[in-house]
Amino acid sequence: MKKLQIAALILLAVAGLFFCLLGSGALSWMQSGLIGFLSPISQSGHIVKSSLGSIGKDLLTLDQLETECGRLDAENRRLRAENNGLRDLLEENNHLRQVLGYREHSSFLLVPATILSHDSGVWWNTVKINRGTKDGIATDMPVITDRGLIGKTTTVSENISEVLLITDENCKVAAKVEGTKEQGICAGPRIGNGDLQLTFLSKLADLQPGQKVYTAGVSGGVFPSGIALGTVKKFHPRELDGEATLEPAADLDNLEEVFIVTGGK
Amino acid sequence: MRILFLILLLCLLPVAVVIQDLLPALPPSQERIQLLPVLFCFGALALPFIPALFFALATALIQGLVLLQFQSGHAEGGLAPAILFFFGWAIVLQISGEVTHGLRWELHALGSFLVTITMLGGEFLMICAKRGGLPVDMTLLTRLAVPSGVSLLLAPLLYLLLRSLVPISSEGTLTKNPAPFDL
Repeated sequence: MKKLQIAALILLAVAGLFFCLLGSGALSWMQSGLIGFLSPISQSGHIVKSSLGSIGKDLLTLDQLETECGRLDAENRRLRAENNGLRDLLEENNHLRQVLGYREHSSFLLVPATILSHDSGVWWNTVKINRGTKDGIATDMPVITDRGLIGKTTTVSENISEVLLITDENCKVAAKVEGTKEQGICAGPRIGNGDLQLTFLSKLADLQPGQKVYTAGVSGGVFPSGIALGTVKKFHPRELDGEATLEPAADLDNLEEVFIVTGGK
Repeated sequence: MRILFLILLLCLLPVAVVIQDLLPALPPSQERIQLLPVLFCFGALALPFIPALFFALATALIQGLVLLQFQSGHAEGGLAPAILFFFGWAIVLQISGEVTHGLRWELHALGSFLVTITMLGGEFLMICAKRGGLPVDMTLLTRLAVPSGVSLLLAPLLYLLLRSLVPISSEGTLTKNPAPFDL
């Protein structure tokens, strides 16, 4: 073996050892850098994918487009009217809460984002969104859709963030069951099938399929209270506690547009 | 030429990561397609020994960082398992190339299957070691088998594509009497 090859081998071994010994801070910085480095490719890929996916949608006749335009216009007017009504209701609600002495429960500050890609890791459930530090996003911010919670931000780069979905085993959410005093911890199973598991419930909990589950909003936690998590599919008591299987409120397999909760109004 | 080929492969690593993220999951249980192990196998077989190890290190860094999870600022695991895994497979593939007298598409396909299944299995065992428990069921086996099977099927396509891009010879591998780069 030539001297140059021996030197290269030693260099590789030292480099390997160096990377093996890196701490969490350095790894987080490197991961954020890698995501930032990949962001132009990811965003270009997303645009290409969207363009390819919209080829079929573009092939509509003029009549179909006119009908669709009319339908959307009508829906827009209806939603505007509904929104005005809801705004009045919100004001009335806030006023009543104040009168009743409850803490004012205002809405969230939301940043809209688009899902760029679902990560290909088999044992992890994460997605990438097109918002980062320059949009005011930080780690551990809840991510929701109009139907419910989808996860929280983990790694954030300048333009792209990674979101850990609630179906991941590592995304643990304090949850409460509608109409009961039952509270538990919600997370995905290790070998995910799209469902959620709500554990640490009472063994004697009387949960019925279809009951809704919301975030409990523990103090100092990531997730605020009252965001829809899912509905109970089945409940079974275990040796020490009860466990319920939930169907997520949001359709996590077909995510496109999401909102990041950056704070309260 | 070899340097150019190494640079091309290194450039393809992030592209493979992005493409595998953008590819839709396979029905019925939403299995993900893994392109990185297929690309790694090609590089480990086609490159000479030292560049193959360098390529393995680059693959390990990208794969390790992409999959790294952080909980309250602490990394769950590190890069060491990925580095050892890809170094180990790079050496095994180099020796296999020597035994079978050069880079062959069959070896690349089989290697891609084995690297993918051991990578996924290793990741699962690492998670189980850290979080406790070892749930084994049919879903687990499907999660291991489907992406590995897809890698096996994709490997010849990537082999042909890369071979047409860079018509390398296998003289740089550990093979003492290399066979021509052939199907």
